[in-house]
Amino acid sequence: MKLIWKLLRKHISTAQLIGFSLANFVGLTIVILAVQFYEDVRPVFNDEESFISKDYLVITKSVTGAGAMLGNSGEFSDKDIADIEAQEWCQKVGRFRNSDYAIYATMGLGGAGHAMRTQFFFESIPSEFIDVNSTQWNFNPSHPEIPVIVSRDYVSLYNFGFAASQGLPQISESQMLKIPLSFTLSGKGRSEVIPGRIVGFSNRLNTVIVPDAFMQWANERYGTDVKQQPQRLILEVNSPGDVKIEEYLTDHHYDVAGDKMSSSKANYFLTLIIGIVVVVGIIISLLSFFVLMLSIYLLLQKNTRKLQDLLMLGYSPAEVSRPYIRMVVMINAAVLLLSLVVMLLGRIYYLDKLLAFGTGGAGIWVALVVGVLIMGLITTGNVIAIKRKIAALWRG
Amino acid sequence: MLPAVFAGREDTGSEVWLRNVTFERGHNYLITAESGTGKSSLCSYIYGYRNDFSGQLLLDDRDVNSLSVEEWCKVRRESIAYLPQELRLFSELTAMENIQLKNQLTGFKTEKQIMDMLEVLGIPEKADSLLGHLSIGQQQRVAIVRTLCQPAAFFLLDEPVSHLDEANNRIVAHLVSEEAKRQGAGIIATSVGNNVLIDVEKELKL
Repeated sequence: MKLIWKLLRKHISTAQLIGFSLANFVGLTIVILAVQFYEDVRPVFNDEESFISKDYLVITKSVTGAGAMLGNSGEFSDKDIADIEAQEWCQKVGRFRNSDYAIYATMGLGGAGHAMRTQFFFESIPSEFIDVNSTQWNFNPSHPEIPVIVSRDYVSLYNFGFAASQGLPQISESQMLKIPLSFTLSGKGRSEVIPGRIVGFSNRLNTVIVPDAFMQWANERYGTDVKQQPQRLILEVNSPGDVKIEEYLTDHHYDVAGDKMSSSKANYFLTLIIGIVVVVGIIISLLSFFVLMLSIYLLLQKNTRKLQDLLMLGYSPAEVSRPYIRMVVMINAAVLLLSLVVMLLGRIYYLDKLLAFGTGGAGIWVALVVGVLIMGLITTGNVIAIKRKIAALWRG
Repeated sequence: MLPAVFAGREDTGSEVWLRNVTFERGHNYLITAESGTGKSSLCSYIYGYRNDFSGQLLLDDRDVNSLSVEEWCKVRRESIAYLPQELRLFSELTAMENIQLKNQLTGFKTEKQIMDMLEVLGIPEKADSLLGHLSIGQQQRVAIVRTLCQPAAFFLLDEPVSHLDEANNRIVAHLVSEEAKRQGAGIIATSVGNNVLIDVEKELKL
């Protein structure tokens, strides 16, 4: 075998093989890195708190200058709500209930004088729409204490916007849970102080939420007794990116709070862009495949006479093709290995940045399978080409 | 049988073409020819790297056209030892490497036996020389040693001594005859004038 290799390695163009390896390496790395990135990033776009495929939209009526002047309240009538409930994409509708009385919140840091006092508001929705599990999520009128869930966005707003710019310390979520709160509720000639506590943070609800039971109790106790229609609704839908939902909301001049719709769009575009990147990578790999094919054909062409002479000596076509097949398999395996290493290194680099979004990355087996599959196909193509070409030499 | 290029000819004056010819193991044949009469074609048909002929060619009652690639490889390793007129050696290998390329396939001779044959042929010092540095006569002797490195029913020699003087012709004839006798094989040699000096039992004019 060593003698055969000594003969057949002649005319092997190192430059061509390096060119092929480089091109194939670039193509393959692009493909598996894109696949891996998609796997890693996808959890950011999918709400990890809903395991089944349902999602929530919070909607309001569009506020327009003209509408406000005409006394358009922006409230949803019972008829509006019934119509939404009748839509096929809508699973459930929850109504936001507003506080109908004045609220002052006092945030104390223990010592006297170190307290912040601000006007405040509450909203409530039925418990089934709340994405926080807490044992403290209840209200007992005989020992009134108000559990509060605030939007996680508020925490970010404070830590990254306010605290950072004002030189104040950042506060973690667990520290916030310990801050003592008190609320002064006034109405119907009463003014009472009730202690409160943050019990959780919500990704879904961009507001301050209290239990429905407390809201009812407080509205009766302090409120104006005017029956209110909700100004915000929470909808449970199957797919927030559905075009039908978007059309319906636009037709009825409803706005979607937060970025649920746009995050679905972002997810769609992410998929699209990754798709394009993967296709580009595959095209590069495919081109490199043809470069190798061409190089092999050229090599076999230049060594035709030698190959025929070896066949004349009694070497079988399989024996004669083996050195070339081994060369191709070794090059391809090395390229695959290198691509995987680079993919893993690149992944370490971007995974750091993804940690800020609360995702630790997915497994690497999908990218691994894709890499092995592409390389397997390329190698199979090469091997078949070599075998065919040498078989064709049999009858000179 | 008749080569395709001669198609249509009815009488070629040949004792091979358009005749029934049988070569038997253990017997020596000399095929004499003028150039252009299809001598190398006949060898290539027998060795299976061309099949542009009409008629039938049988190896042990098997039509050669029915042999698979694997069967031909087996024939070339175990049944027919062929010395092509153009030698078909590899100029970038040494003389010994050229011989070993065949011998490694068959495992037929030891390195010592090969050296002994080179010795007999007067070129032992050339064993490790690149083939390209050898004269054509020396190359022909290397090719003959390579041909002998396999089991065979026939030694098919296409102008085996075209580049050798009479002394070397005798040595080659002796070496080949001895090997053939040892194996109980036959010899088919061709010639356009410089006949290899073996004991010929039948001479055929092509």
